[in-house]
Amino acid sequence: MKRTVLTAVLVALVIVASLGAWAPPPVPAQGVDVYINVTGGGSKKLNIAIPTFTVVSGTDAGGHAKTLAAVTGNDLTVSGLFSVVAGGEPVPANNSEELRRRWSEFAAAGAHAAVHGLLAIRGERLEAEMRLYDLTSPTHALIASKKFDAGAPQARRLAHRIADEVVLQFTGEPGVADTKIAYVVGRPGAKEILVADYDGAGTMPATRNGSINLMPVWSPDARSIAFTSFMNGYPDLFRIFPFEPQRPVQTLAAFAGINSSPSWSPDGRFLALTLSLHGNPEIYVLTVATGKLERLTRHAAIDTEPVWSPTGRQIAFVSDRAGQPRIHVMDVDGTNVRQLTSSGFHTQPRWSPKGNIILYTQRQGTHDIWAIDASGANPRPITAGPGDNQGASWAPDGRHLAFQSNRSGRWQLYFMLLDGSALTQIPLGVNEATSPTWSPRLP
Amino acid sequence: MVIRAGHLMVMSLLLGLMLVGCAKRPATTAATSAPAPAAPPAGTPSTPAPATPAPSAPGPGAPTAPAPTTPEARPSPKEFTSIAALKDVFFDFDKYDIRPEDAKTLDANAAWLKTNADNLVLIEGHCDERGTNEYNLALGERRAKATMNYLVSQGVQANRITIISYGEERPICNEKNESCWSKNRRGHFLVKPR
Repeated sequence: MKRTVLTAVLVALVIVASLGAWAPPPVPAQGVDVYINVTGGGSKKLNIAIPTFTVVSGTDAGGHAKTLAAVTGNDLTVSGLFSVVAGGEPVPANNSEELRRRWSEFAAAGAHAAVHGLLAIRGERLEAEMRLYDLTSPTHALIASKKFDAGAPQARRLAHRIADEVVLQFTGEPGVADTKIAYVVGRPGAKEILVADYDGAGTMPATRNGSINLMPVWSPDARSIAFTSFMNGYPDLFRIFPFEPQRPVQTLAAFAGINSSPSWSPDGRFLALTLSLHGNPEIYVLTVATGKLERLTRHAAIDTEPVWSPTGRQIAFVSDRAGQPRIHVMDVDGTNVRQLTSSGFHTQPRWSPKGNIILYTQRQGTHDIWAIDASGANPRPITAGPGDNQGASWAPDGRHLAFQSNRSGRWQLYFMLLDGSALTQIPLGVNEATSPTWSPRLP
Repeated sequence: MVIRAGHLMVMSLLLGLMLVGCAKRPATTAATSAPAPAAPPAGTPSTPAPATPAPSAPGPGAPTAPAPTTPEARPSPKEFTSIAALKDVFFDFDKYDIRPEDAKTLDANAAWLKTNADNLVLIEGHCDERGTNEYNLALGERRAKATMNYLVSQGVQANRITIISYGEERPICNEKNESCWSKNRRGHFLVKPR
């Protein structure tokens, strides 16, 4: 009985996907008690309070306590599940009376939950404890608490991990704040791949070779990025380890013709890719450890842009064998080819992490992102202008997607929920950015 | 640490709701609707990627997987230069067939190449900015290949010809109109002495 209000709010968060997509329930994470099936945005949100973190040890010369609260709050806002409705001064540690007073104040202001962040600064190390409270219960029950630590330069990452934990507590699946985006900047003839936090902060270079670098795709372990580059004159396929010293580069495929459109198998052992070494763009599977090649398509048309299903059993791809480029699907051995989309100009297939949806780009004067069930049913628009909207990339939660749009007059990156809500431009501070690719959750 | 006490009711309520919600929806996941191949050659979930190098292992230009070799050595595109004698050919949107008027251009180009047999030729395939860059890289390849095939049909030796696709990455005209796009959908020729 005590929990009727919070229960009502949580039930409101059980969001029916407006696009008719149903995903299987997430595998319950250990130690998590609340399960919500969340596939879209929705207007009902959980109101949460995040005061400035409380410094319990050390001196906060870097202003980390405020940064942690602000970044956590922004992460929760763009998750589409929460409204940050209160915050302000830190709540003292070990003062239950003051805690009760502040929580009652927040509850009266409409907050359903509160994050009490405690921060210990030990030299260059930051230790944070997140305590999550249910403000709808008269006792302000503690829902969960968890400790995190990081080096001081990683303060924002600490906040991302806290936000992901809060999302986990309320939905059964972690958030996607502790992730990266790789993307392409530059102009015709000179394009480089950069990496930033998913929210645009902490930009760092990946490639820096003065050539044309395209089509970044994260490996499933989030440690490397496959990409096509003209750095050796021809469009060859490489992989770069952007977080390691000197950012080592490995050649994956450098055959005659094009070496492009990489897609990692879910286990990271194989790459599907497009090669034209036998005279025509066809789809192959490369065993990464051995360099062994297997050819999947044999058709006089263009076959390109393979993308693995999350089960590893099927590959979606683009073929113009029907006269215009369309999305097709085949089994991973190249058999059982079927055309998925019809009547239109369709490229850039992107299989959802849950497997039930394939996004693609439809060209009809301008470009928009569409979705179709993996069964081939129910094609529907995800964007409808303004401008061109293309190059979708799924976040690992299967709820958010990043994409490029020239709606502002220049190519910029955005993310949003699949239902179009929580649209956010990713602030990268560059004139043009394209080809976003959302990393898996960081290890 | 997670406080479990008191959450059972919330959990069971939500789980119950969710399962009811699920039952109303058709299962549309690919995993259940498609037959699994008898022996999937790739993508079978198993051990972590063996190709991942130890953090200190790879240096720049020191691949950890066997570097795939090319069937034959490729001449560097930088060694080739454009010449006025070889004219560009152009393509319709999303097409890679040679148009009749361009066939005449290619006849002249073929004649020049046969007369100047000491030259190797590089054919670049290009696209306009419309479409998406992954697809356009393949489309540019088909345009270069179609151009090459025509020259070969006119008696130019195939082993003198190298092709490269730049997709939409190297436009010669940067305005957003058909006049400009039509200039970018091209096959371009460069030569170098043998």
